[in-house]
Amino acid sequence: MKSMSNKHEYKVVLGVIGSDCHAVGNKILASVLGQAGIDVINLGVMVSQDEFIDAAIETGADAILVSSIYGHGEIDCHGLRGRCFERGLDDVLLYVGGNLVIGKSDFQDIETLFLKMGFDRVCSPRVDLHDLVKWLKDDIIEQRFAREPLTKSA
Amino acid sequence: MHPDSTETLVNQRLADKVFETERNAVLNTWPTGADVNFREGVRYQLDLPVEKQFSAVMKAADDAGRTLLQPRAGVALLQEQIALLTDLQPYCDVLPTTIDAYTRHNRYDKCANGIARSREAGRSLMNGFPAVNHGLQGCRELVEALDKPVQVRHGTPDARLLAEITLAAGFTSYEGGGISYNIPYAKSVKLRDSIRHWQYCDRLVGRYEEEGVRINREPFGPLTGTLVPPFVSHCVMILEGLLALEQGVKCITLGYGQGGNLVQDIAAIRSLRELGEEYFSAAGYSGYQLSTVFHQWMGGFPDEESSAYGVICLGAAAASLAGATKVIVKTPHEASGVPTMAANRDGLRATRQMINMLGEQQKPAGDDVALETDMIKREVRAVLSRVFALGEGNIAEGTIRAFESGVMDIPFAPARANAGVLMPVRDDNGALRVLDKGNSPLPDDVLAFHRDRIAERAASEGREPSFQMVIDDVNAISNSRLIGRPL
Repeated sequence: MKSMSNKHEYKVVLGVIGSDCHAVGNKILASVLGQAGIDVINLGVMVSQDEFIDAAIETGADAILVSSIYGHGEIDCHGLRGRCFERGLDDVLLYVGGNLVIGKSDFQDIETLFLKMGFDRVCSPRVDLHDLVKWLKDDIIEQRFAREPLTKSA
Repeated sequence: MHPDSTETLVNQRLADKVFETERNAVLNTWPTGADVNFREGVRYQLDLPVEKQFSAVMKAADDAGRTLLQPRAGVALLQEQIALLTDLQPYCDVLPTTIDAYTRHNRYDKCANGIARSREAGRSLMNGFPAVNHGLQGCRELVEALDKPVQVRHGTPDARLLAEITLAAGFTSYEGGGISYNIPYAKSVKLRDSIRHWQYCDRLVGRYEEEGVRINREPFGPLTGTLVPPFVSHCVMILEGLLALEQGVKCITLGYGQGGNLVQDIAAIRSLRELGEEYFSAAGYSGYQLSTVFHQWMGGFPDEESSAYGVICLGAAAASLAGATKVIVKTPHEASGVPTMAANRDGLRATRQMINMLGEQQKPAGDDVALETDMIKREVRAVLSRVFALGEGNIAEGTIRAFESGVMDIPFAPARANAGVLMPVRDDNGALRVLDKGNSPLPDDVLAFHRDRIAERAASEGREPSFQMVIDDVNAISNSRLIGRPL
C-alpha cells in the first residue's frame, strides 16, 4: 500500500491522446497542477493509450488525465478503461477533458458519452483549473479510503 | 527510399535521379499511390480553367489590392466533403481541403478505420479529409465538383505522398513547410527529416512549374498560434521561402497569424512582404510571384458566438488594413472545435462585411506602424544572420543548428527539437513582446525596448511579469479581453 507520508501525496499522469499535437493547454495544466502540489508525470502530446497506462503502472499514479483538443477524442479514448483493467490497473482514476468530439455539441451529452466509456470526470475546455485541482485531490483521497481495509478505518 | 537522416542536408535542388528513385518509393507507401502518373497529372492541371488555378487568382487579387477570403474545411467522407465545399463556395474566393490528423502522421491504416467508423456513425468522426485514402479519383471528383481553386491545408511533416496525389488530382496550392509543419505539429520528427521531405514536395511543385503548371506554395505562418511574436514566424517564413525557391517553386504566399494589436499586425504583414523581397532577391532569385496571407486569431476563442464574431471581425479588419492578399477565416464555433457548414459560412459573411467596408479605405501609415515594422525587420535580420552563420551559408543545416541551440525557438511548440525557452507576453497595448529571450540573438537595444514595454504593463497591473502573466494572456481572448489583466 502507498504510504501517505510521501512528499507528494498526489501523483498523476498527464498527456494529450492520439495524434493530437496541441501543446499549449498541456504546458499550462502541468504548471498549474505542479504549483498545487500534485506530482505530474507529463507525457506531453501524441500519447497512446498504452503509453498512459505504462506510465501509470511504472509510477503508481493515482490518476490518468487525458486531454484531446483536435476532435478525434471519441475514437482515441474508446476502450481505455477496458485496457486499464486488462493491464491490471483496477482503480486508477480516469479524467478526460478538451474539445472531445467533432462539432459543437451540448456538454451534457459529451459528459454522458464519456462517463459511459468509464471516465470518472469529464471536463469542458472552459473548466476552472482550481476546480480541477480540488476534484482531483478529493477523488484521490476518496479512492484511497475505498481501497483501505475496513479494519483500518477510525 | 528514405533519405539518410545522418547525411548533411544541403539547400540545393534535388537531382532528377535522386528524385525519381525516391518517388518510386513514396508512391509505394500506400496502394493509392500507384494511380499517380506525373505526365498525366501535368496534362490534367494544364486543362484546368484559369478560375480554378490558385496562382492566377492570387495574382489578380494582389494586382488589384484585394483581400481574398478562405475558410478551413474538411470531413471524413468524399460526398460530405463535396457537399460542404459546394455550400461554402459562394461565400469565399478560394477553397481549402483540410486534411485529418491521422493522414498528417501518415497513419493511412487509422484513416481507413476512421472512414469506416464515420460511415457507420453517419457523421464525420475525423477532423479532416483523408485525401491519400480517397486517392486520385476521389480527389478529382472533389476538384471537378467545384468552381474555385482548392488548396491542401494540413500539418504533415512528411507530406510527399499527399502532395503527389493531390497535385496530380488538380489541387493548385499546397500549404506547409519543413519547419512550420514539424515544430508545431509533431513531437519527435527530426527537423533534418521534415526539411528533406519538404524539399521533395517543393521539388515536385518545381517540376510542375517547369511543365507550365504554377502551383502556389504557402508556408504556415501562425506556427503554434499562441502569442508568437512576428519575428519568430517571419524567420520561419523567409527560410521556408528560400528552401522552396531553391527547388524551383515560383509562387509563394508568406503567412502570419494575428497577434491582436492592430498596429503590430499591420506592421507584421508589411514587414513580411518587404523582408521576403529583400532576402529572396539577395539570394539571387527572381521572377517569382510573392503574396501574403493573414490568419485570423489562432488561439483560444470565446464560447459565445457573438463574442467570437468580435474576434473574427478584428482579424478581418487587420487583414484588410494590412493589405494581406488573403485572409483565413475562423468561425463562431472555434471554441468548441470543428465547425458546421453554417458556422463556417457565418464567419465568412462577417469577414466579407468587414473587408468590403475597409478594403477601399486608405491603409494606416503612421509613425507607430513604421516603428513596429522597423523593429520586426531588425529582429528578423539579427536571427537570420545567426542562422546563416551557423550553417556557414547552408540554410538547411543552419536551421537545424539554430533550433538545436535555441537561436530559433517557437513558443508553446510540442516538438522535442524545440528549446521552448523563449517566452512571449503582451505589453500594455497588447502587442507581443519577448519576456524571456531564451537564446535568440536579439540586439541589446531591441531587448531594452521589449523590457521597457513589458515594464509599463507590470506597473499598470501592479505585479511582476511572470509565467502567470503569460497564462493570463493565453486565456485572455477566450475571456473577452486581449490582455490578461488580473481581475
